Amino acid sequence: MNEFLDMGGYGKYLWPTFALGIGVVILNLLLALSSLKAAKLEARRRMEMSQ
Amino acid sequence: MATWTWFHRLASPPHVYAFARRWTPWFGGFAAVAIVVALYGGLVMAPPDYQQKDAFRMVYVHAPTAWLSLMIYTTMAVAAAVGLIWRMKVAHAAAAACAPVGAWMTVAALGTGMLYGKPMWGTYWVWDPRLTAELVLLFLYFGYMGLRAGIEDPVKADKASAVLAVVGVINVPIIKFSVEWWNSLHQTATVMQMGKPKMDFDMLWPLLLMLLGFLLYFITVLLIRLRAELLRRERNASWVREVLA
Repeated sequence: MNEFLDMGGYGKYLWPTFALGIGVVILNLLLALSSLKAAKLEARRRMEMSQ
Repeated sequence: MATWTWFHRLASPPHVYAFARRWTPWFGGFAAVAIVVALYGGLVMAPPDYQQKDAFRMVYVHAPTAWLSLMIYTTMAVAAAVGLIWRMKVAHAAAAACAPVGAWMTVAALGTGMLYGKPMWGTYWVWDPRLTAELVLLFLYFGYMGLRAGIEDPVKADKASAVLAVVGVINVPIIKFSVEWWNSLHQTATVMQMGKPKMDFDMLWPLLLMLLGFLLYFITVLLIRLRAELLRRERNASWVREVLA
């Protein structure tokens, strides 16, 4: 296991690389979902105001 | 005839909204499976490189993010051009939906590239043609988003930002071919080249699967953001009431 984490001595560069890549992937999904949620809320509020 | 029906549907916000809602879970699901399998393939199954040893595995994150940063910009520029030429609102909305995820992918490409560069080249950063052009790409995304945010009238914001997106697309081939046109520290294309890729199959399949996973992921995020854009733009339309009812 330790050998796997060490990655032949490159672990200190390799794991941050994977963390950054996967982090950006997850972050963008969350940002997109929250943007959709906000847009829905705003549209609903407008609907209620106009009624 | 069928082509034009398809084109008209593409221009219709309620159709696009319904399409996006229906297909998002599918694209997202396949993206997740592809990325997880590719991670396992790249980190566990692929053998170490004879030159770069285990450090080469960083390519499984670096290449897909860098490739997406270019692909998303190209998509954005094409959508912006369609919006300009045919005055299609959905196309402008799609272009706007591309920008944030494209900018983030460029940040990831630059960041992972720096972490890859340190052990391979001995430095995090050099003002090399490929790296510099990729940084320019990030500023193009920022410029596009800044321009949109700075113009209040949505029609004017669409037009001005679309012109910037279309002009800026010149940077995409510059990045792609920078490693061939100039002396670059960055290695030349390994996979995306004419003829056979310069990579063993055991190393290649996780990379190709990761590229596919990232492409599906981008489509997923684009569809979600496109729905948000359409809701904001069409907030007074009757279809929005029906969709949210």
